[in-house]
Amino acid sequence: MNLRRFILGAAAAAPMLIAMAGTAQADTVSPDAAKAFITQSGKQLVGIVNSTSGTQKGQQLRQLVNQIVAVDQVGDYVLGRYVNVVTPQQHQDFQTLFHQLLSYNITYQINAYQGISFTVNGATLQGNDMVVDTTITAPGKAPADVGWAVDNIGGAPKIIDVIVAGTSLRITTRNDYASVISDNGGQVSALLTAMQKQIDKLSAAQ
Amino acid sequence: MLDKTKATLKRRFRQSLAAMAPGLLLATGLSGCATAPPKTDAADYQAYQQQNDPIEPTNRFFYRVNDGLDTYFMKPVAQGYVHITTQGIRNHVGNFVTNIGEPARWVNFMAEGMPKDSGTAFMRFLINSTIGIGGIFDPASSFGYKETDTDFGLTLAIWGVPPGPYLYLPAFGPSGFRDVLNIPVEYFATPMEVAPESTALNDFGYAETGLHLINTRANFLAAIDQVKANALDPYATFRSLYRQSRASAIQQIYISDGNTPPDVDQQQP
Repeated sequence: MNLRRFILGAAAAAPMLIAMAGTAQADTVSPDAAKAFITQSGKQLVGIVNSTSGTQKGQQLRQLVNQIVAVDQVGDYVLGRYVNVVTPQQHQDFQTLFHQLLSYNITYQINAYQGISFTVNGATLQGNDMVVDTTITAPGKAPADVGWAVDNIGGAPKIIDVIVAGTSLRITTRNDYASVISDNGGQVSALLTAMQKQIDKLSAAQ
Repeated sequence: MLDKTKATLKRRFRQSLAAMAPGLLLATGLSGCATAPPKTDAADYQAYQQQNDPIEPTNRFFYRVNDGLDTYFMKPVAQGYVHITTQGIRNHVGNFVTNIGEPARWVNFMAEGMPKDSGTAFMRFLINSTIGIGGIFDPASSFGYKETDTDFGLTLAIWGVPPGPYLYLPAFGPSGFRDVLNIPVEYFATPMEVAPESTALNDFGYAETGLHLINTRANFLAAIDQVKANALDPYATFRSLYRQSRASAIQQIYISDGNTPPDVDQQQP
């Protein structure tokens, strides 16, 4: 049943599926500040999802994600140990592709979530992260409990992870990317190629 | 009585073997192993150890087999099921299937030394089987007995058995050397096993299993599509999700029973 809860939660959290971040330069955010941040961000997200459509929705979502998620840190966390071996050019290419992929993934997923609502339940400190628990509901779908890990990045609260039934989406993506690199003899260039192919595929689908 | 029990066990064992034999034969014939990097390459070797998937080529083969079966059979069936049912009906089916699993959870929680969770599973079965009309409804949650989850693999984990290498099983999907032991236990640990054997009961068991599979797959439709569409390596992504989910389930058992979870089974997923 836990896996079932994860899957349902992952579906509900789909707009942020890849919106994960690293923990570099992170300070703990107070529970009240984290809840206020997620409440405000959630209202913005729901507002966009429920009020607009098509390309306009995608553009607004991309802007919102860049505001509330530490996307650069996401990229570095997802790259994992390979961040120490990539060339400066590869690192720059990776970050560019990661931003693009994030945008396409969100746009791909968000279309199925018209009519979602968002409830903030509470905030607890888990490890070094303040995790805000929420319940996301959408018509025709079972409610899903989703946790949002928030840290203070560069003086402002930012989302650094999405947690559904104990599964961290930033860890999942890091393992996904690491598998591509290790299956190709440790070549980060293979990851960049795979990311570009994925962007092309999603772009063609839209 | 003893003879009847033996006969039932033999029959169930034969059925299990018959169901698993093709997969086991294929697994034996295709037992490809991943090549470990040299120990001198410390970072790669450590990553390989953490990944703990020594038969990855075989696992990936069965992932592709299951993916094909799912694409051309299970997914279309689940889509048809969603078309003719409402979310409410699917929730009731989920409640019914969950309720049938409560006695096994009750026993597993006892074996784990989790009295509160054990009592919860017992009360849930009692309330939902009666007031909840055979488990179709879930009034137990309203009475404060929230759904809890465990299985024999998690019991072994709490006893200290490590997860072992990753396994991707034909038909069953993600598992591990420890968790695979849950399959035969779960197969026998249902209320139907203690009832007198009959054709009607057998048919009910098959129908319940089929409905469970379709209902579960229906609940996963959107999310699995998303993982397949967005992951660069869906096999690695499902492997990571499975391991994280299992590690989290162990922690959740301790938390729901009112205990502080130890740092068990926290290998890098």
